[in-house]
Amino acid sequence: MSEEEATASGFEPKIIAFLCNWCSYAGADLAGVSRYQYPTNTRTVRVMCSSRVDPVLIIEMLIHGADGVLVGGCHLGDCHYITGNYYTEKKIKLAKKLIEKSGLNPNRLRLEWVSASEGERFSKVVEDFVNEVKTLGPSPVAGKNPDVDKLEGLFVAKNAARDFRLRSLVAREINLTEKGNVYDKTISQEEFDNLMDSAIDEEMARQKILLMTIDGPYSVLDIASQINLSPEIVLQHIVTLKDRGLVVVDRFDGVMPLYITPKEEVLR
Amino acid sequence: MEKKNVLVIGGGIAGIQASLDLADKGMQVYLVEREPSIGGRMAQLDKTFPTNDCSICILAPKMADCFGHDNINVMTYSEVSEIAGDAGNYNATVTRKARHVNEDVCTGCGDCNAKCPVKVPNEFDMELGMRKAIYLPFLQAVPRVMTIDEENCIFYTKGKCRLCEKACKIGAIEFDKGPEELKLNVGSIIVATGYDVWDPTPAKEYGYKKVQNVFTAMEFERMINAAGPTGGHIQRRSDGERPKKIGFIQCVGSRNPQLDHPYCCSVCCMHSTKEAILAREHHDDMESFIFYKDMRTFGKGFNEYMERGKSEYGITYINSDATVQENPANQNPIVVYDVAGKQEKMEVDMVILATTLVPRKGAKELAKLLDIDVDEFGFYESADKLLNPVDTKRPGIFIAGYCHEPMDIPEAVAQASGAAARAAELLSTKGVS
Amino acid sequence: MAMEIKEPRIGVFVCHCGVNIGGFVDVPDVAEYAKTLPNVVHAENNLYTCADDGLTAIKNAIKEKNLTRVIVASCTPRTHAPLFMRICEEAGLNKYLFTFVNIREHCSWVHMKEQEKATAKSKDLIKMGVARAVLLEPQEEVKIDVRPSSLVIGGGIAGMTAALNLANQGFETHLIEKEPELGGFLRKLSTLYQTQESSAKAYEGLIKKVEANDKIQLYKNTTLKSLTGYIGKYDAVLNVNGEDKEIGVGTIIVATGADEYRPKGLYGLGEHDNIITLTDFEKMVKEDKVPADLKSVAFITCSGARGQDKEYCSRICCTVTVKNAMKVMEMASKGGDAEAKVEEASVDEKAVSDKEEEKAEEPEEEEGESRRRSRRDRRGRRGGRRRGAERGEERPKERGAAVDVTVFNRGITTYGIEQELLYNKSREQRVKFVRFVPENPPKVSMEDGKLTVSYYHETLKADRKMNPDLIILATPLTQRPDAQELSKMLKVPLGRDEFFLEAHVKLRPVDFATDGIFLCGTAHGPANITEAVAQAYGAASRASIPMSLGYVQAEAIVSYVDRERCSGCKSCEVVCPYGAIQFDEEGLAEVIVAACKGCGTCGSICPEKAITMTHYTDEQLTAEALAALEEVGT
Repeated sequence: MSEEEATASGFEPKIIAFLCNWCSYAGADLAGVSRYQYPTNTRTVRVMCSSRVDPVLIIEMLIHGADGVLVGGCHLGDCHYITGNYYTEKKIKLAKKLIEKSGLNPNRLRLEWVSASEGERFSKVVEDFVNEVKTLGPSPVAGKNPDVDKLEGLFVAKNAARDFRLRSLVAREINLTEKGNVYDKTISQEEFDNLMDSAIDEEMARQKILLMTIDGPYSVLDIASQINLSPEIVLQHIVTLKDRGLVVVDRFDGVMPLYITPKEEVLR
Repeated sequence: MEKKNVLVIGGGIAGIQASLDLADKGMQVYLVEREPSIGGRMAQLDKTFPTNDCSICILAPKMADCFGHDNINVMTYSEVSEIAGDAGNYNATVTRKARHVNEDVCTGCGDCNAKCPVKVPNEFDMELGMRKAIYLPFLQAVPRVMTIDEENCIFYTKGKCRLCEKACKIGAIEFDKGPEELKLNVGSIIVATGYDVWDPTPAKEYGYKKVQNVFTAMEFERMINAAGPTGGHIQRRSDGERPKKIGFIQCVGSRNPQLDHPYCCSVCCMHSTKEAILAREHHDDMESFIFYKDMRTFGKGFNEYMERGKSEYGITYINSDATVQENPANQNPIVVYDVAGKQEKMEVDMVILATTLVPRKGAKELAKLLDIDVDEFGFYESADKLLNPVDTKRPGIFIAGYCHEPMDIPEAVAQASGAAARAAELLSTKGVS
Repeated sequence: MAMEIKEPRIGVFVCHCGVNIGGFVDVPDVAEYAKTLPNVVHAENNLYTCADDGLTAIKNAIKEKNLTRVIVASCTPRTHAPLFMRICEEAGLNKYLFTFVNIREHCSWVHMKEQEKATAKSKDLIKMGVARAVLLEPQEEVKIDVRPSSLVIGGGIAGMTAALNLANQGFETHLIEKEPELGGFLRKLSTLYQTQESSAKAYEGLIKKVEANDKIQLYKNTTLKSLTGYIGKYDAVLNVNGEDKEIGVGTIIVATGADEYRPKGLYGLGEHDNIITLTDFEKMVKEDKVPADLKSVAFITCSGARGQDKEYCSRICCTVTVKNAMKVMEMASKGGDAEAKVEEASVDEKAVSDKEEEKAEEPEEEEGESRRRSRRDRRGRRGGRRRGAERGEERPKERGAAVDVTVFNRGITTYGIEQELLYNKSREQRVKFVRFVPENPPKVSMEDGKLTVSYYHETLKADRKMNPDLIILATPLTQRPDAQELSKMLKVPLGRDEFFLEAHVKLRPVDFATDGIFLCGTAHGPANITEAVAQAYGAASRASIPMSLGYVQAEAIVSYVDRERCSGCKSCEVVCPYGAIQFDEEGLAEVIVAACKGCGTCGSICPEKAITMTHYTDEQLTAEALAALEEVGT
């Protein structure tokens, strides 16, 4: 269905809203109490703090056909848990990048700060986001004929969101850029972002490789041509993945090793 | 022996709050309420300003907490009839009126009142609706137990009927049971008897009971309430039609020395604004006009609420006194008012009177019983208005809520907690364990 | 972990909430739909699930249908979850097996014009609740000890009152005041209208009591420097005269008061010596520095309030204005003693001209109001006057007043008994009240070297001018500048008006949402002394509850570290705002349950996914959310 068709056919997006108990959920309560009307498209999941919302959880929603995901927290500085929402911001930043890499419009994920006294604002936020998602059209991975490439992209992104290095970086972004690390040195936001971007690229590539090798075995050249990377880079990733025990050599095609993900890792 | 027991008189929001505070910290509380249910005036309100919280929805959990509390003995349909003793050691006699229904057995199922042949106006609904002689005052009543009203029950007036007794499958009806007296020993007493709505009939210029479509604000609260006598529909008395244009008249009976209520009742500016907002919420085409002396929007968020009333809910505020006449052709009330010294008339579909609020009937008698002071209007007086507002002249007897002076719910709640603190302080400093 | 092997048995209770839900959502249809969901063995709809019969229905169903999960679809968990959880507990079901579905605030009330869609959404929300309920596990709450001691921040009238009450209840109380002296805002005031006595008399008595009480540790010149901990066990570092002092308490009361708003330039404030605020005038009176030869004084109420700078009405300024207007009259009449004697001699003659003058002044006195009203009020005032005379009160010196006092106002807010009677009295004494509308406030300027107030006379429909010797602005109370910092330190919020925000505007006026911290006095919002004192006692009562019991029940929602998966990377420690993560000898993380507040920040960052948030597990959240993405099966 094209965008125009979707709009014409009265496309009603499905939006999951993760709202923090203390501010945005309370703001939604106030919208109700004050009878501010807004579209019926959101389905709310209450969490204690917006920082509870894991990027993995967000991507999972998209994989299952959510047209949009809204995360609502307290205004920066107002978090009931003091600093929780500063980490929410970092987590959402990672999630958006991963969604973009998977081929979806990152605007399908939106982070908003709504306080307990902003009932009207909550209704406007929902209305605005619903309209934006309507403009974006139905999720390309939803429905009976999902865009397989993008769906695969989302799977890759979800696995990347589980990566140790990416998560450790998110946890430390504030410390590294603002507070200073253990050596009491800070790095600039730009430096950090570059570091993060390359980590994301690497991890996405590795997860793409793994997604292939589950159905393996494949050679480095097979993989390289499939995922559009140079054989040299693929080989580097294969070495890393081999170290982590995530791929093994299944057999040789002549002199060319063919790699596969071991069964127990697939199950994990 | 002195005990950490406290008697609370009045089961409205103030009495409930005082009881909960004391009971939560382990003290034993006797809560005496004259009516068949606790809840008081707040239970009658539809919504509360300035958040339009559903009043009974936020009150009901507190009523249930209070009734279910291990340390609170709730005695409804009861009155304090005697007090003797001193701070730390008061002997109180409580008369438990005969409700003729066993509280421990009755489940409030309603089989009895379905069979009761007597219909009388329901006080809880400001007599806009009817109830039976055996009745539950309102849906969320606590305890959820029936009461037989002797004054109207045919068995008590004419000597026969007992249909309710036959209808009750669990034998909860107790026709032969009389009132009981209970002796309590308490260390302190908190009085929180609340307010009554002044009946504006004597002030003929407002047309109440003469012009059919004139209502009091409390009547409107019941009318607009989903569980009220009209199921939440705003209806004219004359033809049952829904009004589109409502006039609210402020300070009816209050700020009026001629009627001996020179004081301001503190809540009417806001409740009229709220009622006008609610009317608009119910119907998009509703127009409201509020005739006022001074708009007193002094609480948290009140001024903002009034401004929203103007900009979003079609409320027009008119700074004028007003009186009411009737258009005999259609029973429409006509509001007569002035703008800049020139008389104007406005025909509306309904008029709501913000009547003044006065101390509860019997408040003076109770004051006498307790030996505490009342002011010239019947409100209980503080011993030291400035620094000990909840203390009365008699040590160990404290006051809270509207019975003390005109105030809104949060002030009543704060005072109720305050009275609890003073009672606790007294009982601690007396070295009572 | 030991999982229940038995299939969950779910009961769903859908509330009509009168017409609040039932008017917009097809509640019986929703309840029927709930019956079709997996593991649901019982579903019903109630007019009010929170009413006694609704609660009884839940209890009965738990017992009769052996329910192991309960779902209520009604209003918001933020107000009603405790009630339903208690009911489950009373029926023998662990309260954490209860699930709340909000179909009122989040559905019926916000989709009032889309009833079919609202019904469909209600079904979805219940389906999500069922998906979550299936995965719930019972939780235990632990008891946390509460120290029987309190920290009261602010040594004004509210703080002192609260501290005394707590101390007299037997609790160790630390009272801190940032100024060198106790007394707070009252130190700035002259005579109080409630007592007709100096404010010093009120606070000095209290200060003596505070200083004499051996349960009160008093710290002057002291602020709160930092705070850690939670209800029952707060550790505070005080800055006492520049030195650190550590104290431990169980509860905290915020009584930091408010400041007078002083907007430079508003009506010329700060640009002319004779344009001052109410507090400036109070100080003048107190120090006996009111100019002796005042002929004309103008007050302007709502200066900077009610939409002018601040949105709110500051509650107390009208009464303080009335009090001070009367003070000006009183001082002027004292000043003209000789004149007064002459007056008394010819009372009768004056009474005659009194009437004439009233007639002449009518529009001046009764701005924008009806003639009928004027007539009645005057009758009323006379009546009042007569009564006053009968009681032998001094007859007000309304005649020949040496000073003209005009109060420019947007309506006078003298609520209640005492304040309204004071207002009436001020009108008897010939204080003039001139009303203005916010769109056209009076203008203050200098004309020919004289202070000039130009205003539009609403009744006469004409522009007018006056030349007061003194202009007194009634400005609102406003939050103190350091409140923001305190709010962050205590983790309690400020409202849109910048005053501290209580847990509930109606029913929890002195509580914060955070357990163990309470609020009173003008830190909460403008209040007069009586109200601040009542609040102070209220806050003391609330704070005394956990301290009397000696414990509170801790939240069961905390995080939990799976040691098998933990690699000791310390990411969780980095993000935890409460220092609730510690590491054992093997370098593996563990959670300090009493310190953990259950935000879940650590759980969603742990690189090893070794942290589980109880009651908000990945599985529970995922299942709940995904349920919404399936098509409704009807």
